[in-house]
Amino acid sequence: MSVTEAPNRAAASPQLSRTEIEANGAVPILYLFGGALVWLLLASVLELLASVKLHMPGLLAGSALLTYGRVQAASQSLFIYGFGVPAALGSGLWLLCRLGKTRLAGPGVVTLGTLFWNFAVTAGLWAILRGANTGYAALEFPRAVASVLLIAYLVISVCGIVTFHHRAAAPLYPSQWFVVGALFWFAWIYSTVMGLLLCTPARGVLQASVDWWYQHNLSTVYFGFAGLASIFYFIPKLTRRPLHSRLQAAFAFWMLALVGSWGGIPDGSPLPSWIIGMSVVGTVFTLVPILAVVINLRETTAHSMPSLDANPCLRFTCVGLLFWVIASVQEVVAALPSVGALTNFTWFTVAQRDLFRYGFLAMTMFGAFYYIAPRLAAPKSASPDSLWCPRLYKAHFWLTILGVFIGYISLLAAGLWQGVMLNNSANSFMAVLKSSMTAIRMSTTGPLLFAVGTLVFLLNFAQLLKNNCCPCCQRKGDA
Amino acid sequence: MAISWATFIFGPQLQLGNQQPGQTVSVTSVPTSYPNNMPGLARQGAQVYRANGCDYCHTEQVRPAGLGSDLSRGWGLRRSVAHDYIYEEPVLLGDLRVGPDLANAGSRMDTKAVLQRLYEPRSFPGNDRSVMPSYRYLFEVRPIGRNPSPDALVIPTPFTPPAGYEIVPRPAAYALAAYVANLRQDEYLFEVPPPTNALGTNVMLAAKNAPPAGTNAPAASTNIPVAATNAPAK
Repeated sequence: MSVTEAPNRAAASPQLSRTEIEANGAVPILYLFGGALVWLLLASVLELLASVKLHMPGLLAGSALLTYGRVQAASQSLFIYGFGVPAALGSGLWLLCRLGKTRLAGPGVVTLGTLFWNFAVTAGLWAILRGANTGYAALEFPRAVASVLLIAYLVISVCGIVTFHHRAAAPLYPSQWFVVGALFWFAWIYSTVMGLLLCTPARGVLQASVDWWYQHNLSTVYFGFAGLASIFYFIPKLTRRPLHSRLQAAFAFWMLALVGSWGGIPDGSPLPSWIIGMSVVGTVFTLVPILAVVINLRETTAHSMPSLDANPCLRFTCVGLLFWVIASVQEVVAALPSVGALTNFTWFTVAQRDLFRYGFLAMTMFGAFYYIAPRLAAPKSASPDSLWCPRLYKAHFWLTILGVFIGYISLLAAGLWQGVMLNNSANSFMAVLKSSMTAIRMSTTGPLLFAVGTLVFLLNFAQLLKNNCCPCCQRKGDA
Repeated sequence: MAISWATFIFGPQLQLGNQQPGQTVSVTSVPTSYPNNMPGLARQGAQVYRANGCDYCHTEQVRPAGLGSDLSRGWGLRRSVAHDYIYEEPVLLGDLRVGPDLANAGSRMDTKAVLQRLYEPRSFPGNDRSVMPSYRYLFEVRPIGRNPSPDALVIPTPFTPPAGYEIVPRPAAYALAAYVANLRQDEYLFEVPPPTNALGTNVMLAAKNAPPAGTNAPAASTNIPVAATNAPAK
């Protein structure tokens, strides 16, 4: 097979049928997906509560557990560790099996690792609400919880690497580079910050530098790889067109790995200027892999927008790609010192972060779920995509995209106006606050719609599982 | 990955990993060591600050002139530098300003003002639309005993407690207030020297070349403003 062809061949390895491959990985991958969805719903609800508290500060203010700072920390931690990492693992493991035409290695081990992971996230959530957070953004779970997360992750990723090693198909497809790259990347960055922040904290402001480096690598590289792995697989496959250029995909992969990991240090921070300068340069250079991905996929789809009506996976994946481009370009623009002087410490950066997480990562993972879940739950089904309830998935799509869009635009406007007002010292801080409150109130609609959309998806997922059980117990709908 | 790690982890560690306190630069006083470790109660307060996620709304870093209006707002005499944080663990720089920067909050507020703001942020004039949550769980509203407690908070109406009751801060509130009131970055250092005066003369150089002062001569005035104790953050 040509390596640039879309991976949509019906023929499987003579040793293993696709059904056998899907059945083997069904339980652990569906468990990863299911747990991720539940955590995403809870993260969205907490995000909604935090957003409401911004303009109704008296709401639940008497409770230490639900004070704004803890709710915000919990929401972000649940999104990253409850949803983001498990979803990336689930879709990544499935891609390794599908593209490598091999069974998942150690499905029981993966299931056990996921069990420990979810247990640790539960403990971490309780720790944050009780005030035992670490104080480091994106790393709020205490050391004991983080240790369990790291071990569980290593166990699951080793299974992924062994799966990759046992692949039957020789030439690698770009999605496989992204998945394997992601597996190694998170292990590296997470163990680094565990050592330098949680175990033996670095001296003074270096803690902030390490935390910023981690946050940037977590989003731009790790979550970027996870989402792009899905995008590079599903868009060519579902549009039935071969990937335009393997070379461009390789270029995008290596450039993102090289310069995407440089960044995250805000201008004006109390660090030597060479660190800030390198961060700005690295962030600006991420325009190159962004362009490579856009050109490659645009040529793949022959300059025409794929029809989105046919497949929920394609809908979510294409929208996720669009939001990735917007969020990444915004990050590049915000890194410029002249822009950063206006936008740093404002809602502008929150808008970019939320668009990346909810608009890009969540949407592409939703797309992957819509494709993968029915094939795992009912591997023998002739039309797995029809197992979803169409009304529910359309509701999910529109609720999610509207929620992301309204939330993004509102926070963007709030941030820009806040920056303009703040930069004029004649404006009192209260005047700055009042001027952005209308947009802040509007932005609450974003997490509200997203949370409802996630609930709708969870219901759709539950009915899928209920009607088409995993192959471990025979129920109607398998044939 | 290795290049990124070397640039952003190993390199800064080599430069700042063993940073020691520096010497203050002052024309009026003998150079002293800076920074000093926080008093015990303030160190406890830093943990209360962390536990309640205060860094999700407040930053603790003053940007240099030309990057925002931090200095012109009176949020500090100078930009923040690495020396300011060498004793902090965790470093709570923050990345969003829903509320004002607190790097020099101790120059603007004393402990009583902080306690009042924690109990009810909207109790200050002009702050009626503040979105800061109240931290009343850090306080105890209890019946007044034989005599009112000397620690009782004085709160303006309409936030006063019911008749016969008083508001007394719990230990966590005292610790948090001590931490915030201790936040100052007002010493000049080698990397952030004192500013030049209106004539463009380096203040330090002028002081070095000035004729020796008489023993009873008054201390030379400086440009360092007197901190207002209860002035609300701008």
